[in-house]
Amino acid sequence: MSNNKPMPVPTEISAPFWEGLKAERLLIQQCNECSHWVFYPRRHCPACLTHSLAWREVSGGATLYSFTVTRIATLPDFADEMPQMLAVVELDQGVRMNTNLVGLDESEVKIGMRLQPVYAEIDGKGNRLLRFTGVDKDADALKALRAVEQPAQEQVATVRQIALDDEAALQALVSEEFSPWSNQVVVDQALIDTFAQLSGDDYWIHTDPERARKQSPFGGTIAHGALVQILQSRMKLNLGYEITGFSNMINYGSDRLRFPAPVPAGSTIHARARVKRVERVKSGTQLTLELNTHVLGSERPSVINELVILYM
Amino acid sequence: MGLKGHAAIVGSAQYKPEKYATAPRMFHLEQVADLAAQALRDAGLQASDIDGLVINGPQFHEASVFVPAMAAEYLGLRLNFAEVVDLGGCTSVGMVWRAAAAIELGLCQAVLCVLPARMAPMGPDEDASWMARAMRFGGHSTAFGAPEAEFDLPYGHMGQNTGYAMIAQRYAAQYGYDPRAMAKIAVDQRTNAQYNPDAMFYGQPLTIEQVLASKKVADPLHVLEIVMPVAGGAAMIIASKEVAARARKRPSWITGFGEHLAFKSPSYAQDMLQTPIGPASRRAFEMAGIKPADVDAAQIYDCYTITALLTLEDAGFCAKGEGMSFVREHDLTWRGDFPMNTHGGQLSFGQAGSAGGMSQVIEAVTQIAGEAGERQLKQCDTVYVSGTGGVMSEQGALILQGA
Repeated sequence: MSNNKPMPVPTEISAPFWEGLKAERLLIQQCNECSHWVFYPRRHCPACLTHSLAWREVSGGATLYSFTVTRIATLPDFADEMPQMLAVVELDQGVRMNTNLVGLDESEVKIGMRLQPVYAEIDGKGNRLLRFTGVDKDADALKALRAVEQPAQEQVATVRQIALDDEAALQALVSEEFSPWSNQVVVDQALIDTFAQLSGDDYWIHTDPERARKQSPFGGTIAHGALVQILQSRMKLNLGYEITGFSNMINYGSDRLRFPAPVPAGSTIHARARVKRVERVKSGTQLTLELNTHVLGSERPSVINELVILYM
Repeated sequence: MGLKGHAAIVGSAQYKPEKYATAPRMFHLEQVADLAAQALRDAGLQASDIDGLVINGPQFHEASVFVPAMAAEYLGLRLNFAEVVDLGGCTSVGMVWRAAAAIELGLCQAVLCVLPARMAPMGPDEDASWMARAMRFGGHSTAFGAPEAEFDLPYGHMGQNTGYAMIAQRYAAQYGYDPRAMAKIAVDQRTNAQYNPDAMFYGQPLTIEQVLASKKVADPLHVLEIVMPVAGGAAMIIASKEVAARARKRPSWITGFGEHLAFKSPSYAQDMLQTPIGPASRRAFEMAGIKPADVDAAQIYDCYTITALLTLEDAGFCAKGEGMSFVREHDLTWRGDFPMNTHGGQLSFGQAGSAGGMSQVIEAVTQIAGEAGERQLKQCDTVYVSGTGGVMSEQGALILQGA
């Protein structure tokens, strides 16, 4: 997950709630005077305004009050959670909270359904958010940070061999349809720093998380466009063909190279491609591959690379 | 209790909505002076008549504090009443009744209500990224200790879209949902916009099928059910009986208002579907001594189709849960049996920040004055106007009447 996501910053007032989550316990406040349950944490009771609240452990049993499934990420940094399932749940004590649903198919989600808490890890430091899932799910299995999923590659794609002199077959490769997604690659700060060192481009927007959090329009550091572009080499594409019968194949450059969307540090990216054009030129056969890299879950590509491959 | 109806809106001005990228950049003070001059011209009054000012505090470019004093100095106004209103999309409605109350109290005789909403020129040390930074969390506070920074943002709850989407989903679960009826709200308003050359979507009619085929943003909302942010700005002059008598056009008397707010996130509402516009509207109708059925037109704040739908119900134009059939059964265009958002609504006119809500007040005034041109209603003496800020969190209603 992207490390530019907004994270909770506990205050003196709210700390027991977040400490509770770390220990996989749900603590909320109750008024000693009027018994009113309180969420989010406060100094006072919003029902009677007295300053006498006690922290109490509750089971986390809850009912779904409302939800939405997002089709556009609410922030680019949440692209890896797409589609986001944003929800309002009502604890059995009557208080509501804004949260996420996890481990549920869209078709399983119904307003009024019973829910149980998921103490979801959000970093390697033991911090957790309070998410919810269905009561028939294994909440413990949903706690862990999401691992990078690799698409099952075992069904070895049938690769058609196409001879360079088979004009009709080559032209038939041209398509509006993109290939399936490649494997996934994580672009973390360490990788960005290494690239900054290598390239000499150490602009703060890439390398200074502290300053980027305060000043960057992206709320944190982002990868260099050029880094994301060259990471295309790490992503195995399943194009479904292999060209044979040439003596040399060279990367002739790009007809078009655009970086339309940022890749926040910590993002998972993947790529897909399509053959845009095949032309005979003086020196051989030129195949233009539109190779697009996206942040996982994001419709908008982070790199559009119309790569020209020259077969001779 | 309430207003006696002794103050009226007598003039207004409004920049034609434009895309941010191509709109002129002006300092907010400059816009305030320009809009004031235009509104005074519309009213047939002089700058020296103005002795009250209601202005926005948040989002004012040249200052975040002392805004009224700075604006008075810049415009050369001598004020007996100055006020800042911070109610998001409900700001305009909130400005009108505050100005009217100040006039009826005898504090002042003519009040300028103004909301600049074009971008300001960029300073030599500024870059465009500040705006992207400011917009990143869509109106959600990121300040240390802000409950929403701590309990909403980490879960991806931010901006307005998902809040309104969750209200619509809850509505669907409780009362049922007809996507075609929801689309019809946008379509009827688009029809109105075809008779308003100032509207952003003038010359671009719309069908229910197009709305339903547009991209979903957050279930069940389609992109064509959501307002387009535009650059703009607007102003109004509210005047006493004595000053209104000298004004150029038929005044719109402010005979009723109501305002209600209790939360910022609708998640914490007692019932997400009983919106604050209910109590606000009941008070407004009661104050004016009329019923919802008595209005000739409704100018209903429409940041989303669901906002308009819930306002129709909670303001009492139809029963709770019957909004969808009300929309199906009525023609909401200016030619129809329930003229609503006759300028196109913000959905088709464009939403110029918090000045977007002023487009609804100005349309009511324009219709009452008989100056709505091609889309002029045959009879228009009484108009209901609503305002909505946040996610149905701060709402207000006005009753405006021609004498």
